Amino acid sequence: MANLKHIRTRIASIKNIQQVTKAMKMVAAAKLRRSQANMEQARPYARRINGVLKNLLPNIDRSLHPLLAIRDFKKTGFVIFTSDKGQCGSFNTNVIKFAEKAIHEVGKENAELICIGKKGRDYFTKRGYDVVESHTEFWNELNFGHAAEFTASITERYLKGEYDQIVVIFNEFKNVASQRLVKLNYLPLVVEEDEEIDTADYLFEPSKEAVVQSLVPRHLTVQMWRFLLESWAANMAAQMTAMDNATTNAGELIGRLELEYNKARQAAITNEILEIVSGAEALMESSK
Amino acid sequence: MANTFHLEIITPTRVFDEGQVSYLRAPSTNGLFGVLPGHVDAMIALDVGEIKIERSGVVKYMATSGGYAEIKANHVQLLVETAEPAEAIDVQRAQTAYERAKQHLAEKTRELEAEQQDLDAMERALNRMRIAERSKS
Repeated sequence: MANLKHIRTRIASIKNIQQVTKAMKMVAAAKLRRSQANMEQARPYARRINGVLKNLLPNIDRSLHPLLAIRDFKKTGFVIFTSDKGQCGSFNTNVIKFAEKAIHEVGKENAELICIGKKGRDYFTKRGYDVVESHTEFWNELNFGHAAEFTASITERYLKGEYDQIVVIFNEFKNVASQRLVKLNYLPLVVEEDEEIDTADYLFEPSKEAVVQSLVPRHLTVQMWRFLLESWAANMAAQMTAMDNATTNAGELIGRLELEYNKARQAAITNEILEIVSGAEALMESSK
Repeated sequence: MANTFHLEIITPTRVFDEGQVSYLRAPSTNGLFGVLPGHVDAMIALDVGEIKIERSGVVKYMATSGGYAEIKANHVQLLVETAEPAEAIDVQRAQTAYERAKQHLAEKTRELEAEQQDLDAMERALNRMRIAERSKS
């Protein structure tokens, strides 16, 4: 029966797909382990720099550094982190939808987008958003240099007055099974009031001004580095989960098809027996 | 306890917990400075250079490319962009970085900013090579 052959090819092709998804899951798991380690190593540095800056901010004149000045919000720059490739479930869709909502709060015409990752860039350019900058195809070689590069170009735009505030949107790595969407104000720098501020009396070398001047850009770079690492780890986690699901689904499908195949085979055999028997019957009839 | 202080070197990619040390010398933007136990609380900007650590008589060198030193209640944290122990420096890489920057600088038609970047890169490379020498002697 033609149906038998058809089912057999389907089972074979699904088995192939299952092998691919299994391999992709394994690759994602390996990358996740590495990026998770990176992220954990970066955390103390980011936290300390942040802490130092928080101690300093209440005591300094905001006019000391242009990145500290608070201006009226007219134009907003959105930095949106997505991945370059799909196969990671709703990872990209979630960020994009979330970002879209945030953009509509300030109005499409007041927003300019900086897209990190191909998926976001493609989505927003296609829909007529003002994508002024995009960075793609770097995730696999992600290093601190990228963070420095992105920060430099973003702060330059901010200093030129292109935007009055910069908001970042990314997937934070919560645990392997789940990501958390985060929207953060990147610039201007603000300190959350409720946090405990330890105003230690420091001796500054060479001077308070000089320290603040160099600390602010560094803080921004470190933050950017953290966003990149978080986003990448979250991406890998999402991919791993998605591929795991795909492998399980393929397994289920194979099971169902095999059942169908066996039924069809049974039916074919029954049919054949029926034919032989009725053929034999007919012969006996005629020889009588 | 009284004649040591706690030192941690924190970089974006690694944390070196040096434990209790007796002396630290680091490059500030105004020149080298030393830290002994009981140092006044301070926040010091660091430049490219060499970190020297003394722990129970053993001296250790590290290359750094700048950052901050936060000294607080006998606890020192160096928040630096890079920190490499002398014996772990990749001299080959530093050498290539040096050559590359030198070659870039030879091209005259470049912007001031790019030139400064090359000068910085050269300084870092030279610093690495110099400190790598320390581990040999």
